[in-house]
Amino acid sequence: MVIITLQRNKCIGCNYCVEMAPQQFQMSKKDGKTVLLHGQDKKGFFTLKSNDYAILEPCENAAKACPVNIISVKNN
Amino acid sequence: MQHIELMAPAGNFESLQAALDNGANSVYFGVEQLNMRARATVNFTIDDLPEIARRCEAKNVRTYLTLNTIIYDHDLSIVKTLIKQAKATKITAVIAMDQAVIAMARELDMEVHISTQVNVTNIETVKFYALFADTMVLSRELSLRQVKKITDAIEKEQIKGPNGNLVEIEIFGHGALCMAVSGKCYMSLHAYNSSANRGACKQNCRKKYTVVDQETGFEMELDNEYIMSPKDLCTIDFLDEIVDAGIKVLKIEGRGRAPEYVAKVIKCYRDAIDSVADGTYDKAKVITWMQELEKVYNRGFWSGYYLGQKLGEWSNGSGSHATQKKVYIGKGTHFYPKSQIGEFKIEAFDVAVGDTILITGPTTGAQEMEVEEFMVNDIKSDKATKGDTLTIPLKFRVRPSDKLYKIVENKVEA
Repeated sequence: MVIITLQRNKCIGCNYCVEMAPQQFQMSKKDGKTVLLHGQDKKGFFTLKSNDYAILEPCENAAKACPVNIISVKNN
Repeated sequence: MQHIELMAPAGNFESLQAALDNGANSVYFGVEQLNMRARATVNFTIDDLPEIARRCEAKNVRTYLTLNTIIYDHDLSIVKTLIKQAKATKITAVIAMDQAVIAMARELDMEVHISTQVNVTNIETVKFYALFADTMVLSRELSLRQVKKITDAIEKEQIKGPNGNLVEIEIFGHGALCMAVSGKCYMSLHAYNSSANRGACKQNCRKKYTVVDQETGFEMELDNEYIMSPKDLCTIDFLDEIVDAGIKVLKIEGRGRAPEYVAKVIKCYRDAIDSVADGTYDKAKVITWMQELEKVYNRGFWSGYYLGQKLGEWSNGSGSHATQKKVYIGKGTHFYPKSQIGEFKIEAFDVAVGDTILITGPTTGAQEMEVEEFMVNDIKSDKATKGDTLTIPLKFRVRPSDKLYKIVENKVEA
């Protein structure tokens, strides 16, 4: 299972994650920060669990590109 | 002689209070992600705006919200929200670079200041931005002679901003200098995907680099290893000339710095500005201020390009040249208002009578003093160590959020 976590409150809205993984991330027009699509919120940490391994590589690239290191990707 | 406005950085409530306590006339700060210190671990949020405005208004200090990053489409809504909230909470002005921010602020009748990233270097540009802005920072590459030409022309040609007053010119007075146009640099983006233009500069220009001959592979370390890392700007030793140049605002850099940095630098520049105004500014005072400034974070000092004659001066180390540093000792636990006694729990290291201590906190700011007497576990003592409860007479209230530090000498690498 692929587990993606986003610590959203620290997002600086740079848009790089959207460039790397547009299927999983989208910039919010409301507050200018990124949204992890279908992520579940738990105290500001948004988590997505998925069995679709196709999202693994783009999300890993997004995590690498993130300048504030708020995206983590696990492959369990 | 006219009095100029001293503008202080405020990265958090500790620094804000330190600026207010030490004589700043105005403060600038960022909220949320759209400011040049977006990476900072502590940043104000939009909900802090009323408290910032309240504290500053009580001291008649002007408040400037920095909204000076590059702006993407997805930022436009939050920009509008921030400006609206700034207006509602009576923040004095927004500091802007992007035309969208300038336009939105004007639409909402918010005072605009043009940020350093715009790189204003001539009178025609001043005229252009006077259509939207009341204050402008000039580019750091101008000499004081050039600055004076611009301020003279503003006066002569009566160039006024939207508020109906003559446009005010602001320059940087103290703090870090960028190798590139401040906040307009791709170096951090190239190396770390971390854009300075979004307030995420990783300062890789501050490092040591080696030059390699591609043909032979021969490697060479430059004589001056930190060739891309300028020393910090310091203008306190020619502040009289700065004032003579006709500027209205002197800006101090350092929203990422500790509260004691803000306290020390603002105090020195406050004294210096007042001394210039009352005619007591002299060499002896400059020496004292320089010694004080050297105690807090710095990368060595130079006068920037204001005096015209010097080429860039480069730092000879990656870190600070500060002659002092702080060591964490413990935290505030109680305050006895009647007897004006503060109580601290010592959690690390030790502290003795005669030491210089620093107490910081969101409401306390940064208070530095020499310890004359204290009690340990209710008994008069000369030394307190880990685990002790320390009580000490203080002129201000101690809060549980306050931290106690000891100031010690910092060994500077040659």
